[in-house]
Amino acid sequence: MNHGKGEYLLNRILPVIFALILFLMNPAGAFAFFPSTEPQISPIQGEERTFITDTDSIRNEAPTSFVVEKKGPDRGEPGQERSDELNDLSTREKEEVVVQISDPLLPWNKAMYHFNDKFYFWVLKPVTQGYTYIAPEPLRIIFNNFFDNFRAPGRFVNNLFQLKMKDAGNELIRFVFNSTAGVGGLADAAKDALGIQKTPADFGQTLGHYGIGHGFYIIWPILGPSSLRDTIGSIGDRALYPLSYISFTNIPFEVATGMAGFETVNKTSFQIGDYETFKKAAIDPYISMRDSYVQNRKETVGK
Amino acid sequence: MGKCWIGICFILIVLWIVPVPACATSALETIQSQVNKVLEVLRNPAENKAAKEKKILSMADSIFDYSELSRRTLANYWKSFSPEQQKEFTSLFGKLLAGVYMDRIMQYTNEKVTFGKETKLSEDSVEVQSGVVTKTNTIPMLYRMIQEKGDWRIYDVSIEGVSLVSNYRTQFREILANKTPEDLLETLRKKVAQP
Repeated sequence: MNHGKGEYLLNRILPVIFALILFLMNPAGAFAFFPSTEPQISPIQGEERTFITDTDSIRNEAPTSFVVEKKGPDRGEPGQERSDELNDLSTREKEEVVVQISDPLLPWNKAMYHFNDKFYFWVLKPVTQGYTYIAPEPLRIIFNNFFDNFRAPGRFVNNLFQLKMKDAGNELIRFVFNSTAGVGGLADAAKDALGIQKTPADFGQTLGHYGIGHGFYIIWPILGPSSLRDTIGSIGDRALYPLSYISFTNIPFEVATGMAGFETVNKTSFQIGDYETFKKAAIDPYISMRDSYVQNRKETVGK
Repeated sequence: MGKCWIGICFILIVLWIVPVPACATSALETIQSQVNKVLEVLRNPAENKAAKEKKILSMADSIFDYSELSRRTLANYWKSFSPEQQKEFTSLFGKLLAGVYMDRIMQYTNEKVTFGKETKLSEDSVEVQSGVVTKTNTIPMLYRMIQEKGDWRIYDVSIEGVSLVSNYRTQFREILANKTPEDLLETLRKKVAQP
C-alpha cells in the first residue's frame, strides 16, 4: 500500500483544518474550554477531574496521583477536597478511575430530569407502545436503518477528524453500499453482507478527542443529558445530518418536527423497559444518570 | 552460531517470563459457561417464569462476588461501616443487584451473546469482553472478575462504558457525604423491599 504521502498530508493538514473549523464555529467560547494550551495533554486529563484510587500509587506519588484540571471559569467545587478521601483507602482499588462533572445548573437540571421523566411515562412511552402495536418489528428495523444511514456522513467526518482512517473508510463504504445495495439505507447491507460494523463517532467526541472538557452538565428537555461540549457537538452533528437540510429549507416546520419525533419514537420502540430498569436499579436516579452519562462519554472519547 | 545463541536465550527468557498455566478454568471459560447455562434456562419453553427466575437467581449468587462488589462500591466508606453493617450492606446490595440483573435478563428475546478477549488487570483479576447483539446494534459489556480459591467470580460489570461499581459508588458517596451508614442501610432496605 502506498499511503505514506497521503497519511503524512492527513496527519499534518487535518488538525490544522480542524482547528480552523473549530475557531470559526465558536470564536468566543471554544478555547475557554481547552484545559490547557499544551498540545500533549491527554483527553482524559482535560476532560474532567480524574483521580485514580490506587493505594500504591497514592503512597508513592501522592501529589500527582490525581489530576486536577486547570482552572476554568465554569468549574464547580475544587478537586482538592477529595485528597483526604484518597489517603485512607484500604482495599484493592486498582484501576478504578472516578470521573466527575461539574453541575452548576443543578436546579435547572433537576427540574429537567423530572420533566423528562414525566415526558417519558406520559407521552413517549404510550405513543411508542401504540406505534409498536401497529408497526411490526421488521418494518421498525427498516426505519431504524433508514435514519441511521443518514448519520453515516457525520460518523465518517468525525472519524476523519479524529484521524481514525480505517473507521472513516468503513463508514464511507457503509454509506455508499447501504445507500445503493441497501436500497437507500433501508437495509444494513454493509453489516449483513460485508460484515462491516458501524463505528459511532460524533462531534462532541471529536472535541473531547482533542482535549476539550465537558464544561458542565446540562439536561435538555426531551433530548436528555448532555454537557456544554456535547451540546456544541450536537449542533455540529446537526450540520452533518442530511435530513436537517431538507427540513430547514423545503419542508414546513411541523413536518420536520414530526419527522424528528417519528425517529425518536421508532428508536424508543427498541428500548422500552430500559429506562424503567435504570430507575429501579438506581438509589439516586439523578446522580446515577449523570454518572452514567459521564462514564459513557468518557468511554466514547477514549476509543 | 550467534543466531543460535540468541535463539536459546530467547527461549530461556520466554520460559522464564511466561508462568506455568494454571490447571483451573480461565475467567473467560467460566463466564461463558455460566452465561450459556442462563441462556439455556431462558430458552427452555417447558419452565414457567417463576421457576426460571429461581434457577437464574441461584446461578447469579454463585457467579457474583457480592462481598467484593460491596467493598469496592463503598471504597473508603467501607471502614466507616461496622462489621454487622458491612454484612447487612453486602446482603442488601446483593439482593438489589440480583433483582436488577433478573429484570434485565428476563427481557431477553433471543439476542446473541458474544465473547471477546480476556485482559489481565492485576495478579488475580481480569476483564472479559462481551457483547449483546440486539436487532439494531451491539451493546458492549465487560465483566471484571476476580479469582479466589481457584474460582472466578464477577466483581464489576460495565455496560457501554458504565461501570456498575463506579455508578453506585458515586451515588453512595453523595448519600454518605451527609448521612450515616445506618441511613444508607435504611434506604437500601426500603429499595429492596419494593416489588
